[in-house]
Amino acid sequence: MNRHWNSYLNQTLTRRELLQVSSAGFGSLALAGMLDASAGPLAVKPPHFPAKAKRVIFLFMHGGPSQVDTFDYKPLLKRDHGKPLPFERPKVVSSETFNLLQSPWAFKQYGQSGAWVSDIFPETAKMVDDMCFIKSMWGSNSRHGGALLELHTGSDTFVRPSMGSWVTYGLGSENSNMPGFITICPSQSHGGANNFGSAFLPAPYAGTSIGSVGIAARDAKIPFITNKETPRPIQRMEIDYSQELNRKQLELTGPDRALEGRIESFELAFRMQTEAPELQDLSGESEATKKLYGLDNPITEDFGRQCLMARRFSEKGVRFVQVSHTYKWDQHERLKRDHEQNAREVDVPIAGLLRDLKSRGLLEDTLVLWGGEFGRTPTAQGSDGRDHNPEAFTMWMAGGGVKAGLSYGATDDYGYYSMIDKVHFHDLHATMLHLLGMDHLKLTYKHAGRNFRLTDVHGHVVKGILA
Amino acid sequence: MALYVVLFMIAVLPLAAQEDGPAFFEKSVRPLLAAQCLGCHSATSQPIMGGLRLDSRDLALKGGGRGPAIVPGKPAESLLLQALRHTAGALKMPPGPKMKEADLAVLTQWVQMGAPWGNTVSAASAGSKYWAFVSPLASAPPSVRDKAWVRSPIDAFILAALEAKGITTAKAADKRTLIRRASYDLTGLPPTVAEVQEFLADSSEGAFAKVVDRLLASPRYGERWARHWLDVARYADSNGLDENLVYKNAFRYRDYVIAAFNKDKPFNQFLTEQLAGDLLPAADLPTSVERWTATGFLTLGAKMLAEDDPVKMEMDIVDEQVDTTARAFMGLTVGCARCHDHKFDPISHADYYSMAGIFKSSKTMENFKVVAKWHEYVLAPKEDRDRLAAHEALVEAKRKEIGKIVRSENDLLVSVATKRVGAYLLASARVKHDEEMRLAPVESAPGVIERKAGSFDAGNVPRVLEKKKTNAPKDGAGPYFAEYRVDVAAAGDYQIDIFDEEKGAGTADVWVNSVWVKRGADPVQNRAASPEAGGWSVVVVAPFKQGVNVLRLEHASRFPYFEKLLFANNTVAKVPRTVVQIAAAFGVNPGFLEQMGDYLKRSDGAVASPLYAWEVYGSPLTAWASPAAPLFAGFPASSPEALAAKYEELFLASQEKDLTDPGLKALAALLKEKFGPFRAPGDARRYYTAGVRAQLTALDKEFKDMEAATPEFPKAMGVSEGSKIEDLAIHLRGSHWTLGAKTPRQFLKVIAGDQQTPIPSDRSGRLELAQWMTQKDHPLTSRVIVNRLWRWHFGRGIVPTVDNFGRLGEAPLNQPLLDWLAVRFVEQGWSMKAMHRTLMLSSTYQMSSEFDARSSETDPDNSLLWRMNRRRLEAESIRDGIMSVSGGLNLQSTGGSILSYKDRQYVANTEKGGRVDYERNIRAVYIPVVRSSMYDVFTAFDLPDPTMLNGDRDATVVAPQALFMMNGAVMLRHSKQMAEGLLAKTDLDDPGRVRDAYERALSRPATGREVDQALTYVARMQEAWKGSRASAWQSFCKSLLASNEFIYIN
Repeated sequence: MNRHWNSYLNQTLTRRELLQVSSAGFGSLALAGMLDASAGPLAVKPPHFPAKAKRVIFLFMHGGPSQVDTFDYKPLLKRDHGKPLPFERPKVVSSETFNLLQSPWAFKQYGQSGAWVSDIFPETAKMVDDMCFIKSMWGSNSRHGGALLELHTGSDTFVRPSMGSWVTYGLGSENSNMPGFITICPSQSHGGANNFGSAFLPAPYAGTSIGSVGIAARDAKIPFITNKETPRPIQRMEIDYSQELNRKQLELTGPDRALEGRIESFELAFRMQTEAPELQDLSGESEATKKLYGLDNPITEDFGRQCLMARRFSEKGVRFVQVSHTYKWDQHERLKRDHEQNAREVDVPIAGLLRDLKSRGLLEDTLVLWGGEFGRTPTAQGSDGRDHNPEAFTMWMAGGGVKAGLSYGATDDYGYYSMIDKVHFHDLHATMLHLLGMDHLKLTYKHAGRNFRLTDVHGHVVKGILA
Repeated sequence: MALYVVLFMIAVLPLAAQEDGPAFFEKSVRPLLAAQCLGCHSATSQPIMGGLRLDSRDLALKGGGRGPAIVPGKPAESLLLQALRHTAGALKMPPGPKMKEADLAVLTQWVQMGAPWGNTVSAASAGSKYWAFVSPLASAPPSVRDKAWVRSPIDAFILAALEAKGITTAKAADKRTLIRRASYDLTGLPPTVAEVQEFLADSSEGAFAKVVDRLLASPRYGERWARHWLDVARYADSNGLDENLVYKNAFRYRDYVIAAFNKDKPFNQFLTEQLAGDLLPAADLPTSVERWTATGFLTLGAKMLAEDDPVKMEMDIVDEQVDTTARAFMGLTVGCARCHDHKFDPISHADYYSMAGIFKSSKTMENFKVVAKWHEYVLAPKEDRDRLAAHEALVEAKRKEIGKIVRSENDLLVSVATKRVGAYLLASARVKHDEEMRLAPVESAPGVIERKAGSFDAGNVPRVLEKKKTNAPKDGAGPYFAEYRVDVAAAGDYQIDIFDEEKGAGTADVWVNSVWVKRGADPVQNRAASPEAGGWSVVVVAPFKQGVNVLRLEHASRFPYFEKLLFANNTVAKVPRTVVQIAAAFGVNPGFLEQMGDYLKRSDGAVASPLYAWEVYGSPLTAWASPAAPLFAGFPASSPEALAAKYEELFLASQEKDLTDPGLKALAALLKEKFGPFRAPGDARRYYTAGVRAQLTALDKEFKDMEAATPEFPKAMGVSEGSKIEDLAIHLRGSHWTLGAKTPRQFLKVIAGDQQTPIPSDRSGRLELAQWMTQKDHPLTSRVIVNRLWRWHFGRGIVPTVDNFGRLGEAPLNQPLLDWLAVRFVEQGWSMKAMHRTLMLSSTYQMSSEFDARSSETDPDNSLLWRMNRRRLEAESIRDGIMSVSGGLNLQSTGGSILSYKDRQYVANTEKGGRVDYERNIRAVYIPVVRSSMYDVFTAFDLPDPTMLNGDRDATVVAPQALFMMNGAVMLRHSKQMAEGLLAKTDLDDPGRVRDAYERALSRPATGREVDQALTYVARMQEAWKGSRASAWQSFCKSLLASNEFIYIN
């Protein structure tokens, strides 16, 4: 698996490079040619074909938001509340549910497109004409762990690279001072780091986590990014001395790509140490922008901060940014109270992000994706809850080459099963790669005896949502 | 016939299993054919009888006038054998006496094997001769020109390849380089200054051999080399796939591996113990414990523990075992054949399920529930294990005893409640009404009595309540309570308000003068998302008597913060009452009443509800779609009371036996609805009679005491024989929903052949699998392990894809060398330590890593090994190396687990506090490997994903590693400690300190120029640090430890 990476580093210099080193010592000219980001694993790679989307922001709602209480309006569910489900349930379910349960919220139509949105998303509802709803999502696993892994990696059976890793592997990173794949405050449970890990892809494609669940977005940091003991100028002097030792050693060893690479890695780290905190520092944003993301309200502040950071990272060329609203959407009980609270925390920040991206012209080439690991049953669990339902749920996209104002696919009358134009996670992945200019059949990596893909042996591009 | 063949095969198998097909044909089959058949059935026969020729395989398959004579693999269907056995009707061959039974057996056997032929090898069988499926043979080391360089046959193999390309070898490494290389290589630690000096001083011929022997004898050797194997064993201390449960006892396997390396356990035994240790005879308990523990290898994989489909869960676990076992020991990606035949290697879909059947017949898990439990061995003598089992049975019996009482008491509550449906309906209307009333807090007014939270007159909680704390009493026992005595001048309704209550943590049960008036609320799930409501809020309005009244606040498990309370004589005419108060007024149970309220809210006028008439009271019932509707035909309710009475009457009727009326059935169904109003309330116990409650309290205590008294023994994860030994059906496309033919438990056909001794029906086959893999001439096992050892010594395997010897892997760079090593390894009794010596005492290992432009031109990747590869230290060695140089590494603490978690506890889950403390000064191998939440130093420096086998770690160079060097806690702490150590050496001057630091960190003296530069640097840093000499020296140490020379081994 690591031959590719090792052999890159083990390559010795070409004759021309050797000449440069020997005539000019360890010249920065030679260094620039060999070691800048354009040569590394995160070097920008051309897509397979021209594409609108250049980057992704994934707004992950961990727990499983209920489709029938958010975006998938089902009038019959209200009419038939309390009646038994008139068709068979899936073979495998997470727990027993009872009769049909109507949504505690009213739905209204919004925008030119007339998309239905429930009352728990009043701000996001105003953006429906920029959004593309996929109402017919389905997955294969009814438990959080399996479903999270399937959503993030395409496999609910084994550890596989995360979609963010695949995207970064396929396209590289546009900012050599930052990781190509960042996940802000990710969940530690239900697969945890496997959901943003690179598995068998080389390590540089792994998601870099900024903070994790339970850590406030304002305190979230990249690992090892801060040093309270060593003032920056002193640290620079320390690095300079180290680098001097390194260059002297290099004169003795002769050309060695790894040693040279490591010299450059310190310079990159030093720049990253400056740039990352700057990108995370929101104090330079205008009051209007902060308000747009709900930073003025303690309820929306945390998620708003994540969304605003995501915009700043995207703007600076980070390829894949994930924002997580962690493990809150799992309403087996207290659906009314807790779904409402959850929506209240994310509604303004999401609408703010979409508006902000749009006004900056970023929405055109940024693909925003929203959703959870599964949906919920239209049938009642307990007195005021719904169980997991991988058979049907809604995700939505915006920007990045999708048809705005579209509702794609449909579920049955009660929203239990995805029925028309079904879209599996594999199809979602294939479509996301397509929007980014990549053929999911061609984006492969050889490991353990065969070529692997994000979509394994599955996946069809959902042509109907392409603009 | 078929049965006969099967039985017969068993009899002859031992013979055939030892031979490969062509040899068997030449030795046993060809003579028979020649003697009995070819007279009439060959090219030279005149005539060729029946058009059949048996002098070539193709012609035999083609057959004569009656069709094919042989169906390979199917003796029963082969006409040849039918004729020979006289079961083909009139066709009886050969003419004359019937062939002898023994000869028939040979031919049956041969057909069963696929009718392999002799010298002419068909294209198909050539495929099975892929190099990796042919046993290694040691060829004589090639002759070379530079004979002086050859210290070991290894050198001859390497040198011959280099000479063929005209490449010269690098010169020998100097002694300092060599001992640093060997020390890191064998122990993961730098040599001490004294060790270097000793080696330099030893000018004897065997000086380096002595160093190698010393290092191999050190306990540090096992700590280093076990870690290599742990990469292959995808070792971890937590499950980490979906549910991250702690594998508290995984460390025993790790310690077993360390001990195995240290005592040089032969690899064939090491392999056998890991797959089937439990099946080996053991003379005593310690031996059993060691062998049970070894089977942890099979259990350590990452599993989907929360999978609603138990069959899928089990097959995924089996799959992980098949894949890991085959890749770890044979370098074969058998896992690829789960869904179909392997696309590139001759591993069939059936081969996969043959191997999977072995693991399916073994017991890895206790159950496949959500969240599933893995099997663990109790590491204790038999009598203790029996005692444990007996005790656990008692605990279980006690649990059942309690459950039985609870069920019958609940039934009683339900049967009482369901007879009073009318009262519940009326009371719930009152609840709904009162919930809609809003009562403002009093805040302050004349005559109001205010009490600070801590001013209670009786209670068991701290006087000072803290936010976000449990506020537990000293003895920790619940319920937690505080009582306030309040003296009022006049009787009447009093409103009780509370200030700054931490509501998210749940509110208290409230009692006034021993009357329960309010039920506490449960804690809020998303507390972070629910900011605490500040200020005053209303608790309850309850009647007070004149004089002293007692207010009691009670919580079951924690007593959340509030600041103060107030009591005010209520002057509002109409006040809302709590569910508890309303229930008391209506004489019903508060639990059922609350559920009835919830139920009515949910159904909220739904036309399908049997309670529709009640919900829409006063409106027409024309839309009512419940079967209960006709029961109300012609019943215009004159009042809510009348309607409630009607419902009560009907619900009573619905409790009769043998109902036929669909309406009554609908009502009966509502009473039994699983989440309906008349399910047993969550707090049912509080409504039992005092006697029953006392009984249950006593039983609970007994149960808890018994549970606490469960004898505790150490446990180890491990596999045993399954309760059901079975062959598996082929899973078409890998799915257990689509099964194909059963396939016997056996070994890969491409190696073991078609004729295998069947695995007995009472044995899983793990031991047989291990025995097969450790056969001396197994073509893969010895090659794969020596190749791994080579990889870990030289940085690249002879087969570079160390985990894949199949066609998609890379070809061996020097197969004669690999084969020589494999044979040598087995000859040396599968000894790892002997192989280390063999490798390290070669000239090849002892070359310098010096660059050479000419050699590099020809072999830029150094794949022929013209010099030693320069290698970056691995994560553990970087960390341990830094700590060792600083003097801060604790080598005394070995083994055991530092995880503070219990077995199966969730680790690093959603709570902020759930982190593992990694900042310890023990060796890295003892730091827990928590999947999905690994030690960040490990992650930064390429520790492989511990869910996947990996014998070939990356050595990336990326910025986060530099960040660790700049800012990591390990670096900061240990550079400080190193500097303090240097400064404490009062016998040294500053130049001496620089020299000492170089010797310790880089195993070499500093040059004069380096000393000068270091001193200049320290002086400059002292200025920058505003005069701090300690900080200046720390900066120097940091720079040294961050340098390439420290991290890369020449």
